[in-house]
Amino acid sequence: MTCFPLPRLPEKRRAHGKRVAVGLLFCAASLLSACSGIKTYENSLDKNLHVHTATDSGSWFSRVRAAVDIHRVGVDCAIDYEGTVQLTGSATEIGIQPGRRSYLVFVFNSFSFFSNRSGTITYETLIKPRSNHHYDVVVSYKNDLYHVMIREIPPDRSASRELAPLALNSCRSSSDRK
Amino acid sequence: MKRYHVLIVVLNLFALVGCISHPQTAEEFRKAVPGAFSATVETFEVDRPFGQVASTFQKMGPNCLSKTIKTTSQTTTSYQVIVTTYKPTVLVKGKKAELHVQQHHEQGVINVSKEPEGGYYLLVADAQPVTQTKTRIDLYRPSMGHGVLIQAVRNWATGENVGCPDLTK
Repeated sequence: MTCFPLPRLPEKRRAHGKRVAVGLLFCAASLLSACSGIKTYENSLDKNLHVHTATDSGSWFSRVRAAVDIHRVGVDCAIDYEGTVQLTGSATEIGIQPGRRSYLVFVFNSFSFFSNRSGTITYETLIKPRSNHHYDVVVSYKNDLYHVMIREIPPDRSASRELAPLALNSCRSSSDRK
Repeated sequence: MKRYHVLIVVLNLFALVGCISHPQTAEEFRKAVPGAFSATVETFEVDRPFGQVASTFQKMGPNCLSKTIKTTSQTTTSYQVIVTTYKPTVLVKGKKAELHVQQHHEQGVINVSKEPEGGYYLLVADAQPVTQTKTRIDLYRPSMGHGVLIQAVRNWATGENVGCPDLTK
């Protein structure tokens, strides 16, 4: 049996082909992420939200992913989606605008490979971070129970307080009182 | 003859649907559970003062259970989307705290009987003081499924591992 070497493209054309392929992949990825409606939060402000995450689906055949959607809350209490931060590591630093209301939606997305079943559950709260204050957030998911706790820590770290979740309609009722 | 058989089956189905009636109030639910096929009453005592149990119900019930949940399941031949809205109600009157959980299917499930306002009753938990430090819990709950919700309510009563149930499970 005789083997013939495959015809090789000239070096320049191969490099061009690679660039086109990478470009197409990038376009496809951009299109897909645009279609999903999820955008990455810019996270360029001073970090005042320190998120500690621990997730455990409890099974080899399922997984749980945690993320937080950040929405800007306008004076009329309308929300404007700013982006999502995936809570992949055990610690995530996020910067949200102090002195202004934000609406945080912690999202737990579970998927079972066995039954091909997926579901999403969320924990929402309004927050108005105070300047120079820090916020410790504990996000956990274990044994199908989830927990989100936010503690406000003053600049001198003298005393912290737990923030109870605030529904979005509490913004409207507080605006109505003004 | 075939038409006659179909008519009989349809009439029987209507009769069956007419027989199935779901409790319309929490009190009716309490009365119906002991004799129901897929529900049971669980009674236990916790080493916590009644006031603490009641405040945990008041805090966790609305925070964890006022939810609309969408679940998606897919096989090679089917694709199912179910949207369910849960409604918790916590009543604290004197020496009794009650937690009612109702569920209403927005999408993906056909209801065959009259649904109470807020949805079908899924679970009722009653807490009453036994002593200064002990509280008795009567849990009227499904005997099949909804294990995560039941465990969460038990935890709210005991005060251990207090968290919100993942209602998609």
